[in-house]
Amino acid sequence: MRVTMKDKAAIVGIGQTERYRRGASLPKSMMDMAIEATLKALDDAGLTVNDLDGFAFYGGAPADPGSMAYLLGVPHVKFAATLTAGGSGAAGSVGMAAAVINAGLANVCVSLFVLQQVPTGRFGGSSEGPRKLPSAGGGGAYGGGTNVSPEAAFVSPASIMSPGHNFAMLTQRHMYQYGTKREHFAEVCISQRNNAMKRPQSIRQTPLTLEDYFAARMISDPLCLFDYTMEDDGAIAVITTSVERARDLPHPPVLISGSGIGGTGNNAHLLGNFQMPDLSFASAGARDVAKQMYSMAEVGPQDVDVALLYDHFSPMVLMQLEDFQFCPVGESGPFVAEGNIRFGTGSIPVNTHGGNLSDFYCPGMTHIVEGVEQIRGTAINQVEGAEIALVTGGPSSIPMTGTILKKDR
Amino acid sequence: MSTPAIPFKYMPSPLFTDPYADAWTAPFWEATMRGQLTAPKCTNCSKFRLPPSRWCAQCHKQDLEYVDLPGTGTLYSFIIVRHPLTPDQQDYVPYIPAVVDADGAPGCRFVSNIVDVEPEDVKVGMPVKVVWNRVSETLTLPFWTAA
Repeated sequence: MRVTMKDKAAIVGIGQTERYRRGASLPKSMMDMAIEATLKALDDAGLTVNDLDGFAFYGGAPADPGSMAYLLGVPHVKFAATLTAGGSGAAGSVGMAAAVINAGLANVCVSLFVLQQVPTGRFGGSSEGPRKLPSAGGGGAYGGGTNVSPEAAFVSPASIMSPGHNFAMLTQRHMYQYGTKREHFAEVCISQRNNAMKRPQSIRQTPLTLEDYFAARMISDPLCLFDYTMEDDGAIAVITTSVERARDLPHPPVLISGSGIGGTGNNAHLLGNFQMPDLSFASAGARDVAKQMYSMAEVGPQDVDVALLYDHFSPMVLMQLEDFQFCPVGESGPFVAEGNIRFGTGSIPVNTHGGNLSDFYCPGMTHIVEGVEQIRGTAINQVEGAEIALVTGGPSSIPMTGTILKKDR
Repeated sequence: MSTPAIPFKYMPSPLFTDPYADAWTAPFWEATMRGQLTAPKCTNCSKFRLPPSRWCAQCHKQDLEYVDLPGTGTLYSFIIVRHPLTPDQQDYVPYIPAVVDADGAPGCRFVSNIVDVEPEDVKVGMPVKVVWNRVSETLTLPFWTAA
């Protein structure tokens, strides 16, 4: 019999701190916020610190599980690990939790992210001075540093300094290969803004028009201001446990039905080197992950009711629509132009919460929370009868991740 | 002290003055000092690889040779950085990071900059040629411009 973790674990609790504008969470520390979100998530799950025994993190979290266990007084830590790479691990962190629970390593796992965007430490920020390559190690996916490796000297002098620069390079190629237009990026931004405007907790509430979009300044052409995620502060945590235990807890279980945590080696240099094969250069690097995830969950894109696609940059939503097979490769531009991603009218509503672009930026966690709320049936922009949600991490280095959330029975 | 002239239009801030070379990469930088573009190629299976990583991902051997290239190519993708991200780029925007498919080295791309071309005239697919930016006694960087 095929061994699988399909539908064996469920997300049972979500917890969030207040949402702060960038830097405004001071004098709270990142650890303050990580602990607050975890306690709230446990409370939402009807569980306590005494039940917690696993930490399934990603992207450096950046809260150390050991410190959290100490500060929370967790009696028995049975699992603690962090997925490598950045926001790409978000959706996979709950997949890892499900795997760990299914394997019997731990019973109750927390996954979280906390962000505090201050000059001394800024997630996804630009690097100053000579830069290392991601593959050279140290400093994180976009980190600065002065120990330039001999390999990095072949790339870094070009002054490609930030995530926005990297993804603009893929975007330009997508526009060339497939005729994708800035109007298509604008549709992602406008559709998501419309969703955010119905949610009081979303940060960006003012209407966004096509005229506004085209009037915005260009940052790294072809990306303009509105194509970029906003930045802010806060923490969000979710709790995962076994499906049996989940059925005794207050909320309807949100099953983790399948997860992909990986990529292909020849596409690992999505950030930095730009040596990806021609056929996958202008992609989110998620095609392999999508296949793994759908296969495990035994569903396909036609079964997905709502897609929560990590949107650090609007064109990467387009490329994920292709990689996760909602439309053929190269056709995401016309696909969104036809209104397919709109909430209420589209064939596959995308980022019903507003995403990183308009709701709140907690690298990937808001997408998980929205997926949970959609399956619970409590989302503000509730997709009627939603039973299957796709949640993805942010296209960047390996592992890229995606997870299928499903309604119980 | 006078500010040195900026040798190329639309070049980025010259942050690098050294190639940080080791035995693996030194032949490339030595060739650039002579104005010769080269690309690293696996001596076993002939696969080009940039940057010159320590292992060939195709045959898992390590030895490299540097092959002379004609210094021409095709622009694969580019961006126009209009907003300076750090103070040292303040006087250097716009600049145009680019990925170039170099003739004679199929399967590897140079990550560099387009210079001396007006940003609105830069197009994916345009033919380009290498130009040399002598930064220091040890570093000459390849840039690319319209062929």
